[in-house]
Amino acid sequence: MSPLQLSFMGIIALLGVGLYALLASRNLIKIIIALQIMTKSAILALVVAGNATGRINLSQSIALTVIVVDTIVAVLALALVVQIKRQTGHLDAAKLTDLRH
Amino acid sequence: MEPSLILIAIGAPWIGAVVVWLIGDRQPRLQHLTAAIASLVAAAAALWLLQPTFWGETGKVVLRLPFGAFVGDMTFVADSLGVFLAVIATTIGSLTVIFSQGYMAGVAQLGRYYTLVLLFIGAMCGLVLSGNLLFLFLFWEMTAFCSYALIAFYNDDPKAVAAGIKALIVTQLGGVGLLIGIIVAAAYLPDLQISTLLAAAGSLPSDILTIIAFGFLIAAMAKSAQFPLHIWLPDAMEAPTPISALIHAATMVNAGVYLLARFYPAFAAVPGWTAVVIAMGVTSALLAALFAVFSNDIKRVLAYSTVSQLGYMVAGVGIGAIFESQFYLFSHALFKALLFLSSGAIIHELGTRDMREMGGLWKRMPQVVLPFLIGAAALVGLPFFNGFWSKELLLETALESNPLGVYLPLALGAAITTFYTARMCRMVFFAPIQHERTADDHPHVPLSMSLPLALLALGVALAWLLAAPFVSWMWATLPFHAEYILPHRAPESLISTHTLFAWSTLIIMSLTLVGLYLGWRAGATTAASARLAPRIGRIEAFFNESAEAVSGATRQSAALLQKTQTGQLNWNIVGIALGLIALLIIILQGVL
Amino acid sequence: MSIDMVLIVGLILSAILTVRARPLTAALWLAVLSAITALLLYRLGAPEVAVIELSVGAGLITVLLAFAISMAEDESMPASIVPRPFAWILILAAGGLLLWLILPQLPGVKAATAAEAPFITQMWENRLLDLLVQIAIIISGVIGVLSLLGESRRTAEPKMEARS
Repeated sequence: MSPLQLSFMGIIALLGVGLYALLASRNLIKIIIALQIMTKSAILALVVAGNATGRINLSQSIALTVIVVDTIVAVLALALVVQIKRQTGHLDAAKLTDLRH
Repeated sequence: MEPSLILIAIGAPWIGAVVVWLIGDRQPRLQHLTAAIASLVAAAAALWLLQPTFWGETGKVVLRLPFGAFVGDMTFVADSLGVFLAVIATTIGSLTVIFSQGYMAGVAQLGRYYTLVLLFIGAMCGLVLSGNLLFLFLFWEMTAFCSYALIAFYNDDPKAVAAGIKALIVTQLGGVGLLIGIIVAAAYLPDLQISTLLAAAGSLPSDILTIIAFGFLIAAMAKSAQFPLHIWLPDAMEAPTPISALIHAATMVNAGVYLLARFYPAFAAVPGWTAVVIAMGVTSALLAALFAVFSNDIKRVLAYSTVSQLGYMVAGVGIGAIFESQFYLFSHALFKALLFLSSGAIIHELGTRDMREMGGLWKRMPQVVLPFLIGAAALVGLPFFNGFWSKELLLETALESNPLGVYLPLALGAAITTFYTARMCRMVFFAPIQHERTADDHPHVPLSMSLPLALLALGVALAWLLAAPFVSWMWATLPFHAEYILPHRAPESLISTHTLFAWSTLIIMSLTLVGLYLGWRAGATTAASARLAPRIGRIEAFFNESAEAVSGATRQSAALLQKTQTGQLNWNIVGIALGLIALLIIILQGVL
Repeated sequence: MSIDMVLIVGLILSAILTVRARPLTAALWLAVLSAITALLLYRLGAPEVAVIELSVGAGLITVLLAFAISMAEDESMPASIVPRPFAWILILAAGGLLLWLILPQLPGVKAATAAEAPFITQMWENRLLDLLVQIAIIISGVIGVLSLLGESRRTAEPKMEARS
């Protein structure tokens, strides 16, 4: 199999593993890490699409946008996590239900 | 030269906005000064664009900022429709900014106020000068945001905040219509230039063009406060009065009429479109005038009068009278700004908006009364103020093209307009004094407030002289609209004895006199007609109630769905995973 | 066994290890995962993004994660509130559907070449507006982080007073 065809398996596996981690973990830092895994899957998928359609440069520029936005998301989320730890003393996503009606 | 002028007209207010914000609220004088300078620079740039050497054509791009092949270039066009509205936005905008110096003196958080006002003026300039639909939409949304933030400027007053949110929601409804239209257009057009849409309208599939046309119509309906989406404008009077002048005359509501006029050549052939535009305009003109008759709040009367006069412009666009409706918009911007600013001076002095508590101002505030009366005369259409010429021109065209459906209701509306204007003037100025202050107390009106009033009054008295140059300007710069701009009349004959002695004028004048007489009598008693008032009030309330019913239903369905919100992140992810599975099943069904 | 096969197996393995590990170890495994992704991107003909992924994904994010974990100390958590079997069912359903969608078409997929503008042109000219918006996002992200981390000092102090 070519790297292109193999990458499809990688994309699906990363998506599944990331989604599982999002479902199963309560630790906020682990949730951010799970988001990172899923983003890797998205970047791979974009580049694979570019490779398969011959528009690799366009897909590269979009993947770069994804990396930038994802980094900002990660940084902001980590700052939020640190703040949550300071305010509540724990990192448990299941206990953060203050906004519930 | 034109590119830099356009950039100044849009950029100067925005730079001013940032500078005012940076100055901070500790130096209000500096803030006033900066805001005035920024808006005056923009006004000078816009006026400079009026020179014949700078006339551009629709589709002839004078300024192109490349934004890549995927969104299209940000273009600006200096044709008459755009430049004309940019001039109105900046000149009347700068007059309201100057007026604010007196009106807003001592108010907290001036920085926020001026920043938003300047942002508003700049966004309006960008909206009308933009040659690209996507950027038109961005500027459109920017004006929606600014109007929301300014209506809710007194944000410790729950009524003001509610009015701001109402304006935001209603105009966003229009924004969604515009966005749908633009997205559909983008799917069928090679690029998003306005001229491309105007040129290609005939070759688009008819159902696609219908979607675009009605999407844009909803946008104009919400922005220009036409029935049934007018409900935000009367509530918007919670804003500081200079903001009311800005929204009613210079920036916000003109955008809807602009949109209709701009795209009229593209949509005129869409079946039913012009009929809906006419129906919308005529209904607004009549109903809002009726509501104005039974209001006792001076700003509410003026707000309904704006809805009503906008109805004239919209109906004018509907019958294809592009020049007449734009000329009327020009007149209306001047006299409505004058009316709002002078009513602002009155409210500032008396501290009330209720006309029943006014009266006797004729002797006390002559420097405000005179401008107000000039504005009222123009609103009524008394010869020879600008309102007279523009309204007669519009109605004459209406009589020629659609006597029963458009002329008759609009003439009736003109009579009601004179009625409520006469009533308002008598209640405010000539009725016995209703407030506790003594009659010989002459309040001081600062120069920053009286100067804009004097300038606007001068404009109201003389602006009709510009009719002939205006029409030749439109002829020269609007290739797509050319066949709709008075094809049968020479520009020189617009302002002439012909109009003066036309049948339409005679009918309207006699109706005006009747209205004036009846209104004057009605103004003597502060109580509105006992028999009619509750009925009209019920119609007025009906629109608000139906809007509330819609929002109530939305809130209730949200409350039902709220039970699914556990606040547990992991369970939310379950929702996302289920959504993913559903999506995949849908795609698979398509594939198999 | 080709190098691509090794890369894919490594990718999946490191992802699983990332998910199973405790946060600090997970951050390190994430760096490994990022490095393998970068290699794969390079093999797919995207060298520019591969370099950026390597520096940002494996470098910057790992440092930030380690930093955040040291600031918010690690703690043990009770088991997940979503039942494990249910989570497995969801994942297997989604993954199975995806495979069902992709597998029949997979043999036909191969690398294509088409005439297109170079990467720099795509980035700086064709998608200029996107680039400007990205810059705006970066700036707002920086402002957000600064205000988030700055706020703690101001809010923490009154609390101390209230307690004492």
